[in-house]
Amino acid sequence: MKIRKILQDTFMIAWIKSYPDFRRNPLMLLLLAMISAIPLFFMLMFSSGGNVIVHGLIGAMVSSVSFAGVMAGIQDISWDRYVKIREMIVAMPVHPASYALGIALAPLLISIPSLIFFGAITVFLGFLTLETLVWIVPALIIVWAAMSTMGFMISTYLFKSSMMVLNNLSNLLGIGFIFIPPVYFSEAQLGSLSWISIIIPTSNVAGLIRSSMGLLPLSIETVIVRWAVLIITTSAFIILTFIKAKWREK
Amino acid sequence: MEPGAVKSVDLCKTYHGKDEIEALRGVSIDVSKGELFTLLGPNGAGKTTFLRIISTQLLASGGDAYVMGHSVTSEAEEVREHIAVVPQDVATYNNFTPWEYAYYFARLRGISSSEAKLKAQEALRAVDLWELRDRMCQTLSGGEKRRAIIASVLSSNADVLMLDEPTSGLDAVARRGVWSALRELVRNEKAILLTTHMMEEAEMISDRIAIVNKGSVVACGRLEEIKGLVKERFRVVISGDFKQTADHIEVVKLGDRSIVYLKTQDEAVDLLKATLKMNLRAEYSPVTLEDVFVKLVGGFDNHEN
Repeated sequence: MKIRKILQDTFMIAWIKSYPDFRRNPLMLLLLAMISAIPLFFMLMFSSGGNVIVHGLIGAMVSSVSFAGVMAGIQDISWDRYVKIREMIVAMPVHPASYALGIALAPLLISIPSLIFFGAITVFLGFLTLETLVWIVPALIIVWAAMSTMGFMISTYLFKSSMMVLNNLSNLLGIGFIFIPPVYFSEAQLGSLSWISIIIPTSNVAGLIRSSMGLLPLSIETVIVRWAVLIITTSAFIILTFIKAKWREK
Repeated sequence: MEPGAVKSVDLCKTYHGKDEIEALRGVSIDVSKGELFTLLGPNGAGKTTFLRIISTQLLASGGDAYVMGHSVTSEAEEVREHIAVVPQDVATYNNFTPWEYAYYFARLRGISSSEAKLKAQEALRAVDLWELRDRMCQTLSGGEKRRAIIASVLSSNADVLMLDEPTSGLDAVARRGVWSALRELVRNEKAILLTTHMMEEAEMISDRIAIVNKGSVVACGRLEEIKGLVKERFRVVISGDFKQTADHIEVVKLGDRSIVYLKTQDEAVDLLKATLKMNLRAEYSPVTLEDVFVKLVGGFDNHEN
């Protein structure tokens, strides 16, 4: 299949999966932005000043794309089980990669307004420059990819579980990957346990963004190791998903 | 009719799990262009399994099938260029409109935007949803929702359409709307492979029918050919306490009703007269597809002869 058709289908599926929701349920955008902004509210209320708000804004950006990623896998299940659009697409001249990428891209498109909102505040506070953006954008893309493939992995391995179980699991993952690790706060607060943030994709990316903004002093070697861990983790999720996922059932 | 839209050769499927289930046991059929072919069978007969293999969603355990000359086993990509599918028990995506179903699915098939708009318009008019094209699916009735999904298949340029029980749950009027659209497609040389367990549907719209039971084709042909597979041609339905008058006739009891199967019209008229003398209500008609179906799949054991 031609690359052009694969890309075209990817964007078509992402559009189909996001635009109708975006147009007919705009409150959902507000809700997504608010979920990511809730910790910020508490930080504003109880912080003692300093860069706490910037740490929180970084967390909100990472949270927006990470939620988008986990949602992708769950949406795949609902498309497959209830509206059966996946079944209809399997029988079309559409490449499986287009489908997976399109499904993953859709919630990312929906989270773009909240990303822009948090980014704009960060720019206003003077922490986001063109130079830092060069690092932030790929870092956010990779964490979205990691969380998306994790979502797909869950939907693939728990293919026969009920939607209730999967929804609860996605909420637990959200808490486990976004609110507990140092995503909204600096990993420096973990002291000797700060290494934990490297193995979790969300906190790893939050640390890399902080480092690029000068909020977290990291050596060049550490930055390289952290990028490598991030890429390896994402690749592992992708491989596991590809091993288990079936476009055509046996 | 032109030959060669769909051909299955000894198609087998076994599901391996806790229990081994033989869903298909060597199914061989062929569907021509410009033909509506119906797979008729009870629940669990293997109809959906067959359709899922033909539509490249499921791999066969044995045998092979060909769509427009391409093997579903080894040339799935080529097959997908020619087919469009409506799965069983499909629900609508509530935030979609009928227009989006018809237009986006045409676009996904690689049809250009301007042509997809035309195709979507044609499809929505065919299923009588043009006036409702911009309504969200969640506000449509069950029948309208199903027609919106069918429009997504009609708007494709596919040569072979596969529909798994497309009218189940629809009322009579909505069903006829779908039938009319399908027959129109057949007139335009499309091949349609349809599954159903509704006898009336099979009888009304099929060019040919295959009766499937327990994974095997037990009968295949035009309606009259299938009806010719049983020796009885007429039936008399009698209401009330009917006592069998002759040993050689076959009677099926349905509570306080009896269905008597007879070979000739004369026999049927004689029985009708006899029952009227007994002060019972009775009417006779040619045997239906349902009568033949029940006989062939052996699903009803209430015989008295």
